[in-house]
Amino acid sequence: MTRALYIGLLRLHPLPFRRQFAEEMLWIFDEAKGSEGAWVLLLDLVVSVSRQWLLRSAVWKAALALAGAVVQISFGGLGWIFFNPRFGMPTQGGATVTPAVTELIQITLCTMFVLVALMFALVFGISGFTRKRSRRRSRTCSNYAVSRNFTPTSRQ
Amino acid sequence: MPEDPSQFLPLSPATLHILLALAGEDRHGYGIMQEIARQSEGQYKLGPGTLYDNLQKLMNQGMVEEAKSPPGNDDPRRRYYRLSRAGRTVLTAEIKRLEGVVRHAKLHLRPAPERNA
Repeated sequence: MTRALYIGLLRLHPLPFRRQFAEEMLWIFDEAKGSEGAWVLLLDLVVSVSRQWLLRSAVWKAALALAGAVVQISFGGLGWIFFNPRFGMPTQGGATVTPAVTELIQITLCTMFVLVALMFALVFGISGFTRKRSRRRSRTCSNYAVSRNFTPTSRQ
Repeated sequence: MPEDPSQFLPLSPATLHILLALAGEDRHGYGIMQEIARQSEGQYKLGPGTLYDNLQKLMNQGMVEEAKSPPGNDDPRRRYYRLSRAGRTVLTAEIKRLEGVVRHAKLHLRPAPERNA
């Protein structure tokens, strides 16, 4: 049962991580569950899943952007209607102007379009920046090793 | 002009132990876990989740790389990892930093001279 649970938790990891390490992790689980305890390894995997999604992937940023969009649509869109001087003003007949359904749909669609575009720009911008930073760090580190003429001594 | 590796320091305990475990020889994941337990005399144990999460980060940073499997390895699930030159440089810098910490600690933690009342 614990093995099935372990496999299930492995499947919750992001795809690139799973492709790279899942088989090996399952092998370690089979080897180490006797000595380390299956539940300890399961708990470790729960921590790993949350860390992968929260720290290593950009999904939380997309979720945050989506939540921001929902807030904007709910409050920003309605606020535009409330604060638009055309609405709420009495006409010559005495009735107040209220937005038509088509106007409401247009406002909502426009807001959604702009926010989805912003969200995509943000997510791709952030992931591009993260990739570049990772490459730069790796290059910097290698350059430093080369500039110091570092030669490993313990691995011959 | 190259920047120095201090931007990676201080290393987290997990990262430090993984790099140390790989400093001697190439190891597979389970080997790294066992070596860490041995080096710390059982005081620090890494689970596979924590190990591979950190290994992924280290591989992205270019400090650890995948190594060729030795001839005796008959299980394809066992993949070997080795410390890259960059990783060794960062580890060396971290050990130097820790030596400084220990030096200061020894200086300040010397037993205070006894005072006569």
